[in-house]
Amino acid sequence: MGAASAALIAIVVAVSAEAAADSRCTGITEEESRFVTCFDLGNRLSVTAGSDGFGSAIDVRHTIDFDDDPDLTWKLEHHFAETTHAAFENAFDGTFYRGRYIRHARDGHLVIPFGTPKKVFLPFDIGALAEVGTIRWRADDSPVEIGVVKFGALLDFARTRSFRRRLTIGPVSRWDVKTSRNLDFKVDEHIVAPFTTGMIELGAESLEGRTAGTLRIEAGVAWSSLRGWVPEARAEATLERIIIAVNDRPISLLLGARYETRPDEKGAVTAHISARITLFDKRDVRVNLHPLTASR
Amino acid sequence: MRIGSALALLGICLPALAYADDLPMMNRSEVVHCANDAGGHMWRVQCDPATKVCLYAPNEELDSEGDPVKPLERARECEMDMPFDRAKLEADGFKFLPGLPDAPWGWSRDERGRVFQTNFDLHKRMFFGVGYTPRKVYENPLESTRTSIDFGLLSFDLWNKGDSTRHRFRFVQGEVHLEPFTAEMVLAHYDFSHKFIDPLVRITTFIGEPARHDLHLNVGGWTEVGGMEIHQTPLGYSQQWKHATADLTFDIWQSANLDSFIRVRTGVGLEGQYTDVTGYRSAVVYGSAFEIDTVLDKEGHNNLRFELIHEIPRYFTPLEYTGKVARRLLAHAQYETVLLAINDQPVTLKLAVGGENRDDLPGIKSQWAFVMDAGLRFSLWAPPRPR
Repeated sequence: MGAASAALIAIVVAVSAEAAADSRCTGITEEESRFVTCFDLGNRLSVTAGSDGFGSAIDVRHTIDFDDDPDLTWKLEHHFAETTHAAFENAFDGTFYRGRYIRHARDGHLVIPFGTPKKVFLPFDIGALAEVGTIRWRADDSPVEIGVVKFGALLDFARTRSFRRRLTIGPVSRWDVKTSRNLDFKVDEHIVAPFTTGMIELGAESLEGRTAGTLRIEAGVAWSSLRGWVPEARAEATLERIIIAVNDRPISLLLGARYETRPDEKGAVTAHISARITLFDKRDVRVNLHPLTASR
Repeated sequence: MRIGSALALLGICLPALAYADDLPMMNRSEVVHCANDAGGHMWRVQCDPATKVCLYAPNEELDSEGDPVKPLERARECEMDMPFDRAKLEADGFKFLPGLPDAPWGWSRDERGRVFQTNFDLHKRMFFGVGYTPRKVYENPLESTRTSIDFGLLSFDLWNKGDSTRHRFRFVQGEVHLEPFTAEMVLAHYDFSHKFIDPLVRITTFIGEPARHDLHLNVGGWTEVGGMEIHQTPLGYSQQWKHATADLTFDIWQSANLDSFIRVRTGVGLEGQYTDVTGYRSAVVYGSAFEIDTVLDKEGHNNLRFELIHEIPRYFTPLEYTGKVARRLLAHAQYETVLLAINDQPVTLKLAVGGENRDDLPGIKSQWAFVMDAGLRFSLWAPPRPR
């Protein structure tokens, strides 16, 4: 009787574990070997190689949930040390830290705290983006561009609990510095946008995490210590598609295009294609490579 | 009587809910009973033996028509299994009144049971803002308009109820003004206040009745790393790189939870100055300051800061006008108040005034210059202040 009960419990546990996993996310070969088919694109250490050079990035994303308010979730995305160094010329792009923080609530609202507090319904989530320490230089004699800080207030109309979709709009504030190449502290130009640029970003990620795309457009005016107020615009689109995985570590194809106006020259369009190799990643929770088996 | 039979009576006898702004709220620390009425709707009931009043409220959020639409958020668990006898309670003199479901500390509810945050700890947040900064310099009154932004990537205090030390952290905090351009930023700031239980000195007086008088010396610490100031001068830009500063603090007054204080601090720092005309030179800076940082109300809506800073940079390479020793006198006062909250994230109004008199900037005469700011800040996080 005791052995039968234990076996029954073991089977129930095994079945429960199987149910928690998603059958779409675990492939099974004819030899009953299992492999990953869903990926967590937000938690990984990756390197890239492509037409724009070699690079690396550390991505971390997570949520903060609350027991006493299950309708509230903070979605936090962090990107550390994103770098791209051109292969055959002295050009570099880097970002020390970039984060996006979205507060998802099932009922968005605005509270006016005067007198008896009033609550007004709002049809969006709110959040912010922060970028600290970007650097960009090119092979020509143009100055080094340092983005000291960039902040944006975001309204997310996608209003999802997951990271898979976003439609964010909001004003952006930033402070950039252009300095000489010889690192002698001499600053050539300060550029400040005091919430005078706007941003719209669309992001989507497939259910399996094998395809992801982003389109971001920023436009407005910024103040330059040399030129005064100047209009500016930049747009960037990226598409990532995982094509193979080696030992369940994905390798993806990256396609990207960028348009950016420069105050002293015509706007320029650049495009790149590259491969991203994930060195470490967090296994998607829906993957079940080691199913529990009933033991007797 | 078991709760089931008692609440059948409750359902029949409950009057219609009154929707008013001044409905009393249930006490979160007291037991709340839950039971269904005759129509199948669940109600929350809380009785106070001291006042002989029982408050009742729907156990769900209501829509604008008064129909239940979703479970209550942030409400405490209600007791389903405890005995509840309305008839007996009424016989004992209890009166049943409509109320609001309980909410956590720092939160409130409207008449539909929707919860929202009303208490904000602006010491814990990420913020960014924009301001309008009229500026008047004595010798050039036409230079009077500029815009500014300010930002703080992450600020938080570590303190739990009963702690005698509060740790304060600030990361990537600063502000940038346009026309003329000035910028200030600090990468990392840490300071702490400690409340000493035992006095440094206790004096007993024997004039009249013997009486004891305690003198406390609440010593703390203050450090900043990676500070930067950029000023536009007639001779180009002047950059101050404040590599590291360490001060001792002496709290003249502390609030009970240490989030408000009046203090003086003094210490030493290492900095470098780069100007377009003189290049780079280093200095040791002796500084002291008088600071007030206080939260004016228990909801955290009104916050006041004041700083008066005196710094003496001693340069290793002499300045043109002052030699190796220069002087900086800075004063800054700021009032910040919560205007509204969007999805429980506060939007605040910042009013600030500052002045400085310094002789360490090439091309700038040593005289007082004043600046005013009025702006809006958007903050993320800002949880309720600890009770």
